[in-house]
Parts: sequence; structure tokens; C-alpha cells
Amino acid sequence: MAVFQTACIIDDDQIYQFGMKILLREVDFSEEILIYQDGQEAIDALQERLSSGDTLPPVIFLDLNMPIKDGWEFLDDFVQIPQRDREQVNIYVISSSINPSDEDRARKYEVVSNYIVKPITSEKLLEIIAQHQ
Amino acid sequence: MVLTQTILKRTPLPIAILDNNLKFLATSDKWLEQFQGQKDLLGKSFPECFHDLPEEIFIDIQYCLEGVEQRSDATRYINKNGDALWYEWDVNSWLNEDDSVEGIIVILKDRTLSQRNRLLLEKSQQVARIGHWEVNLLEGTLYWSKITREIHEVPEDFQPNLETGINFYKEGHSRDTISELVNNAIATGSSWDTELQIVTKNGREVWVRAIGEAEMVDGQCVRLIGTFQDIDKRKKAEINSKIASERLAQATNSAEIGIWEYDLVQNDLVWDDNMYKIYGVSESDFNGVYEAWESTVHAEDKARSAEEVQQAISGEKEFNTHFRVVWPDGQIRWIRGMATILRDEEGIPLKMIGANWDFTELRNAQMKLAQSEESLQGAFENSRVGMALVSKEGVFMQVNESLCTSLGYTQEELLQLTFQEITHPDDLETDLKLLNEVIDGKRNTYQIEKRYLRKDGQIAYIYLTVTGVKDIDGNLSHFISQIIDISSRIAAEQKLKNLFDLTSKQNESLLNFAHIVSHNLRSHAANLTMITEFLVSDKITEDERDNAKEMLQTATSGLNETIQHLNEVVQVQVVSEEDLKTLELEVILKKVLNDIDALIPHEDSSMSIDLDTQLEVKGVNAYVESVLLNLITNAIKYRHPDRPLKLSIKGSANNGKVMLSFTDNGLGIDLNKYGNKIFGMYKTFHRNKDAKGIGLFITKNQMEAMGGSIRVNSSVEKGSEFILEFKAA
Repeated sequence: MAVFQTACIIDDDQIYQFGMKILLREVDFSEEILIYQDGQEAIDALQERLSSGDTLPPVIFLDLNMPIKDGWEFLDDFVQIPQRDREQVNIYVISSSINPSDEDRARKYEVVSNYIVKPITSEKLLEIIAQHQ
Repeated sequence: MVLTQTILKRTPLPIAILDNNLKFLATSDKWLEQFQGQKDLLGKSFPECFHDLPEEIFIDIQYCLEGVEQRSDATRYINKNGDALWYEWDVNSWLNEDDSVEGIIVILKDRTLSQRNRLLLEKSQQVARIGHWEVNLLEGTLYWSKITREIHEVPEDFQPNLETGINFYKEGHSRDTISELVNNAIATGSSWDTELQIVTKNGREVWVRAIGEAEMVDGQCVRLIGTFQDIDKRKKAEINSKIASERLAQATNSAEIGIWEYDLVQNDLVWDDNMYKIYGVSESDFNGVYEAWESTVHAEDKARSAEEVQQAISGEKEFNTHFRVVWPDGQIRWIRGMATILRDEEGIPLKMIGANWDFTELRNAQMKLAQSEESLQGAFENSRVGMALVSKEGVFMQVNESLCTSLGYTQEELLQLTFQEITHPDDLETDLKLLNEVIDGKRNTYQIEKRYLRKDGQIAYIYLTVTGVKDIDGNLSHFISQIIDISSRIAAEQKLKNLFDLTSKQNESLLNFAHIVSHNLRSHAANLTMITEFLVSDKITEDERDNAKEMLQTATSGLNETIQHLNEVVQVQVVSEEDLKTLELEVILKKVLNDIDALIPHEDSSMSIDLDTQLEVKGVNAYVESVLLNLITNAIKYRHPDRPLKLSIKGSANNGKVMLSFTDNGLGIDLNKYGNKIFGMYKTFHRNKDAKGIGLFITKNQMEAMGGSIRVNSSVEKGSEFILEFKAA
């Protein structure tokens, strides 16, 4: 039995998506994995879920550098969703950027639980699981 | 009888001898002389001939006829003509043997003349306040006349003696002097004439002139007589005038003003001590004639000053001049001279009286002042700092060349203007506020940085110092403005600021670039790490293993690509002016179009090119090629899927620049959303697999490296327009 019902990956990198799926399966992270290519696609899909009566995924792995709508723009849109619909959501920013200003900026969002520098490993996923048990 | 008759006749007394019937028996010549017109008196009746005589005489004669031996008297008589006459007479009876009266001897003196003189003397003594006194040393008495008593302010019955008399003299010098003079006179018979002070009975101090003489009998002084005159008014006036003239002497002395008097009639020139000092000669070397003065005057001034003396004497012009004199030691001194002419009733000039003083030092000081004013004026005119005298109303009263240069106006133009008119409107309020504080006396000066508008309309940046100048009464008369043109400094500052901004921007973009590079390298590296780990582990299925191998390939080439981009970016560096070549745009454009001909979907696009002929730019061939390539391939890549591509390329030269525009009808970019990111590194705006987000970043850097720029206009679904701006060749 997986820890979470749903995990959501928002990243335009195919290799990352491939690796992430394997790692999530390895640690039995979630029953279901949602994958979006950029921020726009993700916010549209999440809004869609809400309007069809679904809940939002409790964990979102968010990349920052994406075309169309990057991670920051996604965060700005996401916080517009009513609090009660998103209070169970934990967003983990997963980025290759080691620029301190990026980390600081990410932590300013209340919805962001952590900032994790790529490459992501199964150990880091287990830590997230531990925090939620 | 003849003898007695002769004696009678010659006696110096007016005598008449009358018989007992009062008929003339004889008269002396003196009688006849005194009563002229009465001739052949013998045998005539005295009362008949001399009826116009005082009655008293006849009464006395009557007494004597009746046997009285002698009667004498004197009286003042107004005769029938109304004249006042004085008579003095002595009447004697002349007896015969039987003691009966034989006749009368009458001595009748007409004292009118002497009496008048005596009265006049008394009157004059009264007016002159001259009294007299007499000391009888034998009796030890002192007599004071009425005026003497009045001078002493003692009552008429006052009885002075020698001691009280002397004690009226003021204690000290006056009393000591009179005591000594009196003692000397008594001892030696000497006389005195002195001016001393007495203290009157009422306590007033009065100046008197005391004259005294001793009367000696057998070598012994028996009497002292003298006069006593009240000279208080004269003496005090004299003392005052002495004080005044001493004061004048002191004043002229300390002011070193020489006084001279020139007797025009006698040619006698008299100098006071100061004159000798002023002319540097000793009294013994000056012979006191006009020519002596003239010889001291400087040769160049001699003729003029001599003429001025003549003009003064003739009354043509007042003597008020200056001239140089040469001292015996050769020194030249400047002398001021003023004089007036004294004339008699007929206007004949008698004397010339004047004053001289030496104004050499004053003149030197004035010369120095004039010189310093001159040099100040020189400094004003030649200063590299702009200078102006400005009226209280702000009108330029005087401006120097430097200010004119700074403002681009001529002097004549500036003098028609006020500073308000040429001050930048935004700076006027500050300036006027400070200026008013100077006018109100709250401050003497102020400094501000402000802007003037030059004649050509450009802005002159200046540093202004304004100082208020006051007149003799302490009222503000005008301002002195010093104007330092700091336009070039401001321009340099601006340039420096621009450079700083550019450097900051470059720094910032460099840091940004470093993070982007780091990000991209790391993302590929992370992928490689992850996949490698999968491959060496048993976490993945066989299918996934095949997939992973493929991805390893992709990640590796991604890493390569990133490194390649990095190289490209790093290679784009600012090119120095001398490395820029003249390039013909058309040639490069044609080459690029030729190179990418295979990429152009000819059947599904149209392209128009419209360049000015010989359009040449300054640039680096490789960069220009890369920029054109990038923009054209972008237009192809992001063309609208629903319509054929239309690309229009236009080029024109304009004002030292060459503009090249690329207008397409493609997808367009939402500039409201991405405006500032479009030329950023790794920014992509379409879900196009080929979009790497590096092309426009490099394009922008290449354009800037050549001193050019790129900008964009675009709207979503309609198309984009990229405009390049090159430096013209």
C-alpha cells in the first residue's frame, strides 16, 4: 500500500520524468503519478480536477525552469486556488539551480515544503515519506 | 606907575582893575585875549560891558565894594546864546589910605575849554572803566576814585588803605606781583604798568590794568599815583582768542598743515613752522619771497602753479590746486594748496593767505587703490571663471568673456537679459529663494548647482556663487556672481554613471549567466547520474533498461549541446572599435539565405527583401551572419501552422544608424507576459521541441558586442517584428 494516493510531477525534462517514475515506484511513494510538461499544463489540469470534484494531489514535485509557464508562475497561480482545496498539498521544488536566490525565493511560498537540488534520490523520497507518517 | 602898568598888562592872568564905580581902570592883555571883541574898555562900566556873566560875580563884587577883602568862586553858566560856559573868578577889594574901597581887582577866568576837557576825560574814563588812585605815604592814606571803587565793587563810603588795596589782588601771582611792584616803586621810584586779576568784594575775578608812578622827594617816595582800569572783557576775549589760536596752531600742527601769508605789495612771504617741514627746508635757507617758493616747485608743475597764483590774484579762479615740490635731498612730494586773497575796499589785492599740506602718502594709497581696481577689473575680464555683476532685479550689469562662452551669448546680448530669463525653469525657485535671503540680509552669500539655458537651447550645468555687495550706507547695491561651468564635469559624470550602469548590468548578466550555465550543466549531470545509477542497479525492468540507455545518449548529447552553447556565449565579447569591419548587409543576407535554403519551406512561404543600396554597417562578419541566421530560422520555426509564412526584411540607413527589420506573420509572443525575458538565456515561449532558449540570448549579445541593439514588437497569433540597429559604416 503506497504512502500517498497521488504524486504529481511538473517538469519538461523527459529523462527526469523517466527517472522519477522509477524512484517513486521503488519507494512505493504513491498509487498514482500525474506528469505535466510545464506550469501551464499543470495548473490547467489541477483546476480541471477540482472542478470535476477530485482532490488535488497531496505531493507535487515542481521544476522551476520550464517553457510557457515556469515554476514561479505556476506557484503564483497555485496560491490563487482557495485554501481549503489545497491545504493538504505539499509542493517540493526540485531544481538543478544552486542559486541561493532561487532557494530563498521558493521558501517564501507557504505552500512550498522543501527545496531539493537535483539529482533526486530514493533517500530523499524516503525522507519525505518519513515526514508524513 | 609905568612899571606896574606894564606888569599888569603882561601878567598871564585875565585881570581887570575897576574903580569904585566899576569903571575899567586897566586890563591885562590876557583879559583882552580872553574876551575878544571888547576893546577900549578903559573908562567903560564893567557891568555894562560884561552884563552876560553869572550873577554870582556881581554879588561878589558888590560884597567887595562894601569892604569884603576877597571873594572867589566858580560856576557853570548858560549865556544868552545858550552856550554852557564855566567861569572861575577871584575878586579883591582895593583900599585907599582911609581904608575905604578905592576900587576892585577882578581875575576872571573863562574855564569853559579846560572844564570841557576835564569832563570829557572823566566821561572817557568812565566809559573806559578807568579809575584813579593815590597813596599818600606820609599820611598812610589811600584814595580811590569813584570808578576805582566801582571796579572793586565797594560802596562809595569805603575807606581803603594800602594793605586792603593790595589784598584785593587775587592771591598768588597777582598779589605777589603787585606787592613787588609797589615795594620796588617805594624803594626805587620805579613805575609799573601791568595786567593782573583782582577779586572784587562780591567775589568776582576781574582782570585790571594797573598803572602806577612814584613821586620822590629828596630820594624818598612820598606818593604813589596811578590808574586802575577794568580790562576784564578785553582780557578774557584776548585769552579766548589766544586759546583759539593755540588750538588752531595745534590742529594745523598735528594735521601738518602749513600756513603761509604772502604780502603782495611787499613781496614778503611768511611761513609757519609746518611749511618748512612740508617743503623740507630750514628756515635759514628760505629768503621769504615769492621766488623762493617758486624755486621749490617741480619743473613740470612750475608754469601751471605760477599761473594759478596769478589767476587767484586776478580773481579769475580760486587757488585750489596741487603741485609737486622737490626737496633739497631730491625727494618729490605732492602738495595740496588752497588760498584766499585779501583785498582793500577798492578790490586791490593786498595779501594772499593759504594753507599747504603734503598728500604724497594719500596719493600713493589712491594710486595703489586704482591699480588694485585695475587688476581686479583685469581679473574679472580674464578669469576663466564666469563672472557677472547683477542688479537687484537680476539684470546683468557687467559680464566677462568666460560667462559669455559658457552661455553662448555675446556680451551685448547678455546685458539685455536677466538671470531669471536664462535660468532653467526647474532651478529658478531655489535660486530666487536664496537670493531673497541675501536681499533680506539673512545671508551674505550662497552657492548652488544649477542649470542655465544656453542661447542654442542646450543646458549649461554651472556651479554658482552669489555674493551681495553693499554700498557705503550698508544697503544692498548689487550682486557678484561667479559661475563655474561644470557641464563637462556633469557630462563626464553622466558618462561614468552610464559606464557604471553598463558594468553593473554586465556583472549582473554575467552572474545570471553563471547560474544559468550551472543550472543547465547540473541538470544534464543529474540526469546522467540518475540513469547511470539505474543501469548499474536492478531497480529497473529490461524495457526500462533499454530506454535508459537511449536516455543516456540523449543526456550526453544535451550536455554537449550545453557546453557548445556555453562556448558560443563566451565567444561573444565586446568588440573594440578597431575590430569592427565595414560590412555590406546585402552580401551577408544573401549568403545566409543561401546556406539555409534547404530549411525554407518554399512551397509554403513568401519572403520579400527591400534594402537600401550599398547598406553598410560596422560589425563582425560572423556575428552579423549568426544574427541574421537566427532571426530567419526563428521566423521559420515559429511560423503559424494555419497559414503560409510571410517574412519581410527591410533595411535603411538613418542618422548614423542602419535599421534592419524582420517582420513575420507567425505565432507571435505575448510581450505583456514575457517582455523582459524574451532575450534571456534558456527562455522559451513555445512548446516547440527545437526551442532551446539560447538563440535570442546570443543574438542580443552579438548585437550589443558590435555596439548595436535589438528590439521586438509582437502580438500573439499575428506575428513578430524584430528590429536590428547597427552602427552605420
